[in-house]
Amino acid sequence: MRSVLANTGSIIDFKAKADELLPDGASYDSCLNCGLCSSGCPASGLEGMDPRRFIRMAMLGMNEELSSTPWVWTCTQCKRCMYICPMSIDVSLLVGLARGAWPEDKKPSGIVRSCQAQLLDSGTSAMGLRSEDFIEIIEETVDEVRQEDERFKDIQAPVDKQGAYFFVNQNSREPAAEPEEMAPLWKIFQYVGADWTYASTGWAAENFCMFTGDDAAWERMVRQRVDAVNDLGCKVWVNTECGHSFYTIWKGVERFGLEANFEMGSLVSYYAQWIREGKLPVNSDWNTQGLKFTLQDPCQLVRKSIGDPVADDLRFVARKLVGEENFIDMQPCRSANYCCGGGGGFLQAGMKEQRHAYGKRKFDQIMTTEAGYVLTPCHNCHSQIEDIGGHFGGDYHVVHYWTLICLSLGILGENERKYLGPDLAEVGL
Amino acid sequence: MSLKKGVPTADMGRDERHYSTELAVIGSGLAGFAASVFALSRGITCAQVGNTGAVAYTTGYFDLLGYCQDQWLDDPWRGLELLRESEPHHPLSRIDRKEIRAAFDQFTVALTEMGVGYTAPADRNHFALTPAGTVKPTLSVPETMLSGIEARKVNARTLVIDILGLQGFSAKEFVANMRSSWPQLSAAKLSFPDMESGGQVFPEVMARALEVSSNRERFAERIKAVLGDAQLVGMPAIMGVHHPDRVHAELQRLVGVPLFEIPTMPPAVPGIRLREMFEQAFPAKGLTLVPQQKVKRLELEAGRVMLYLRDSFGEMVIESKTAILATGRFLSGGLKAERVGVREALMGIPVIQPGSRADWYRQDYFDPLGHPVNRSGVEVDSRFRPLGPDGEPVSDRLFAAGILLAHQDWVRQRCGAGVAIASAYKAVEAAARLLQEQ
Repeated sequence: MRSVLANTGSIIDFKAKADELLPDGASYDSCLNCGLCSSGCPASGLEGMDPRRFIRMAMLGMNEELSSTPWVWTCTQCKRCMYICPMSIDVSLLVGLARGAWPEDKKPSGIVRSCQAQLLDSGTSAMGLRSEDFIEIIEETVDEVRQEDERFKDIQAPVDKQGAYFFVNQNSREPAAEPEEMAPLWKIFQYVGADWTYASTGWAAENFCMFTGDDAAWERMVRQRVDAVNDLGCKVWVNTECGHSFYTIWKGVERFGLEANFEMGSLVSYYAQWIREGKLPVNSDWNTQGLKFTLQDPCQLVRKSIGDPVADDLRFVARKLVGEENFIDMQPCRSANYCCGGGGGFLQAGMKEQRHAYGKRKFDQIMTTEAGYVLTPCHNCHSQIEDIGGHFGGDYHVVHYWTLICLSLGILGENERKYLGPDLAEVGL
Repeated sequence: MSLKKGVPTADMGRDERHYSTELAVIGSGLAGFAASVFALSRGITCAQVGNTGAVAYTTGYFDLLGYCQDQWLDDPWRGLELLRESEPHHPLSRIDRKEIRAAFDQFTVALTEMGVGYTAPADRNHFALTPAGTVKPTLSVPETMLSGIEARKVNARTLVIDILGLQGFSAKEFVANMRSSWPQLSAAKLSFPDMESGGQVFPEVMARALEVSSNRERFAERIKAVLGDAQLVGMPAIMGVHHPDRVHAELQRLVGVPLFEIPTMPPAVPGIRLREMFEQAFPAKGLTLVPQQKVKRLELEAGRVMLYLRDSFGEMVIESKTAILATGRFLSGGLKAERVGVREALMGIPVIQPGSRADWYRQDYFDPLGHPVNRSGVEVDSRFRPLGPDGEPVSDRLFAAGILLAHQDWVRQRCGAGVAIASAYKAVEAAARLLQEQ
């Protein structure tokens, strides 16, 4: 499977860079050439490349070939290769470097456009949604929720609330394409009495600039958001259920030496905390049909950021929601999980055939569980897993946690069910 | 922040995480995993740390002792007696035979219960199949591999298949090398469903694909198309990662004859199976598992052992009453070979080793005596506590197990699993005794 993409830009000395970028305790000289990385990588074989080959070519000085291989756009930089490597060799670092060296006009235009859109407006939305439009959409959607459900007649979705405890970054997909999908999270916030706010700048929860390999643009995005949180004096920053945006800030603050006067949290960990505290009294009583659920661990959130503590939280919440006996883990999972193929900008890269080939492994994992639903606390995972389901003929649905939480609490509106199957269309209405 | 089971983790400040436990197992090879199995069965609270080690490269066979005094061993238990005579310092010579048998029994039963079926250790070694078409003596094998060993004994009419694009396993080579002792062997090549391009395919990928019933059905059809009058079919080890025995049974039902696996070259499925099984089963049994990280520093304090490490989330401290060092040898990083000598990597514990670097290797690579450097390792006392420069235990609370131990050449002697499992058993027993005394 070959792409038409081709780089004609600068050529990198990968071996020299590799030695510079190595984490403590890792060594390219120690590479045994054992192939665990390639064996465990869904991008192996795409564009005639795999992680082991990439490293060997780097060590042999094949810089021209590596600087031009389109494979770097099929590697989602999920770091599974490093995770399983006995020598902790991180191929994704070199991939990021290679991506950055491509001329802008040769990079996959979808990723570049998404980053450019983010740079245009202080809202930092990759879908080009301007801040004033974002605020207007929120106001309209809040009005609708108030009218539709008496229980939420006073619901708030504050913007720029100084000193709020939570600062919430909102993925642009909802306000831009499906605003009704924002409401379940607002309802959860109201239910637990959370003190939270959106912001009029740096509000978006995506960062495609990291995926273009443009570190300066990545830093600009992170800085804009960090400044927004600092300015409002919020204690904790969270994303909507999201993977890469979490990682870009989590890692970005450290990498670019930014001063973040707040903690960074995963929304799902707060779901878990609220359940444990009794503030979110979810249960699985609604699942009278014994519907089976599995879970996608987002690489960016689990393997690349918080690790198994958040994987535990994902499972704790899932089991509470669907019932212990109705939850089936994919294998492998947690920090060893496979990337779905939606990360790294792959969804936006226009390389559909390669992305589907990559996603086949995820599809097989899901099929093995025989689950009818996949929980995906990440937008890119959500999109990709839906897409490969359609492509390979999987009979499953893909849902966010917020949908099931509201379903369990009996507060999920009729128009907030687009990702549920017919078996749950009427439940709890 | 204290991170213990059941404690909320929403506070994502990068504070140090702190775990308390009775036993810390350092290393996640066979010895480390075995130590955790034995500790859990004794009700000892346990934390285990270690990144991918040599277990990822195993054939899946568990050797007790295959070679001693210039002979291949049919009876490893008799072999242990020979070993005791010729090598009294060998770790296996220092452990009672009954305890070795109990350790093997307990470990293989535990693996079977956790989802990867193993044969019970018997009185005789199996002569198990290798990917090169040779055999090797071993004590316990995965259930998925057993019928091939039996088939060879009776010269059963057997078809061996390999897969288009799979490197490191050739059915033709296997048959050519094996034919003198197994004349009724034949070979065939198949393509795997959805992997027909001819590009490289990996056993792990096929194994995961075979966990899906529709893929099994398609693959079984392809086997049946080349089956002919074969009574059995051997294939590379690709029968699932997480439920190999179920995949094995289901494929056999679909094909209609007994099937068996043959180990492949690394990266191979049997090791990935073991690793992922432990990673699934241990946390469910209450063990704190920190996979894919190495302990950076170990400090011995009054009444406790402190382990310091770091993952992508931040710093982590494990405070334990006892610890077992099961860090392996050179590949896994337990020992470092340096210009001036061999060093124990974590604590600088003295290493038994040749007098000088010039004595590490004999002239002939294939010298039947082996190479002195391959008997390097730490010395332990009767309680499996590593000894310091003064010949006394480094600590009452620190134990060692596995191929980190000196006086054995596990590759040559085919005793890697034996040393790992039996010494882990003894180290846990000693740690348990100490915990009980306090």
